[in-house]
Amino acid sequence: MSTQPQDGKHPVSSLLAGPYGHPLHPLLVTVPIGAWVASLVFDIGSHVAGRGGMLADGSLWLIAVGVLGALAAASVGFLDLFAIPTGTRAFRTGLVHMSLNLAVTAAYAGGFAWRRGGYGHSASVGAGQLALSAVSLAVLAVSGFLGGKLAYRYGVRVAAETVQREGLERTPAARG
Amino acid sequence: MHIAALVTWLITALGGFYLLGTWIARGALRAPGSSRLPAPVLFGHFLLAAAGLVVWIIYLAADKKALAWTAFALLVPVALLGLAMFARWLPGVRTRHAVTPAGAPGAAAPAEAAPERHFPIPVVLGHGVFAVATVILVLISAIQK
Repeated sequence: MSTQPQDGKHPVSSLLAGPYGHPLHPLLVTVPIGAWVASLVFDIGSHVAGRGGMLADGSLWLIAVGVLGALAAASVGFLDLFAIPTGTRAFRTGLVHMSLNLAVTAAYAGGFAWRRGGYGHSASVGAGQLALSAVSLAVLAVSGFLGGKLAYRYGVRVAAETVQREGLERTPAARG
Repeated sequence: MHIAALVTWLITALGGFYLLGTWIARGALRAPGSSRLPAPVLFGHFLLAAAGLVVWIIYLAADKKALAWTAFALLVPVALLGLAMFARWLPGVRTRHAVTPAGAPGAAAPAEAAPERHFPIPVVLGHGVFAVATVILVLISAIQK
């Protein structure tokens, strides 16, 4: 393994966390975000559309897909957290981002257990279960905001500006 | 039994994250060769253990025997890689205790070299004990299923 400065930009393991400039974590988080947003849409749909039971069952599947996707994203996310120097503002932001995401994932795992008994019973999603999902998604949005701050403000796992400039310099052929 | 395995697995994972964080923070990646633990072994151990934990969580929800055995099959190489790292970590601890009388001034200096020498011994032992408990609980769950 080559020498890597611990500057928050270099992966601790290229193979697992994605190579320099191509972090895997932002790719993997699309799975839980997409699944859980769709799950809430299904929850609401189970009340307003006919065949509410089918949508409620689908929502349970989406919660499970989201939890598994979140665990995969978390594994890689931990590695990116370890890439950030400790004792910095970015590291503290990363700790809050991690804690909120783990809480949201645990809430959805709890929601899955709570809904499981109703699977296949052709009933709409209960108000309490729907509320838990809505609150969890709201917390996820806050956590996502912090994730965005880590990437776009602190540049965690983002290539250095000198490297970025390579992509913005006009090549001789295009200059014409 | 299978919930107990989940709990011990999660506790083991917490210890592992602490050790991994310490290992990286103490410069294992900044100065390759400073550590006696090979990075591919360490990250392989991490990846397989995390994958096994996900399989175990799916098993808890889906309740299929094949999933319990898959989780156990993933744990076997995890345990072997973990034992290999433990074997490479142990000599460093012995020399630390042989060379460093408690609180001797300046005695810690040579120990700065290897990042894994900063591992707190109770965390390493706890990680190992909970790992062994997890493997046993997963095996019993898979057999009983």
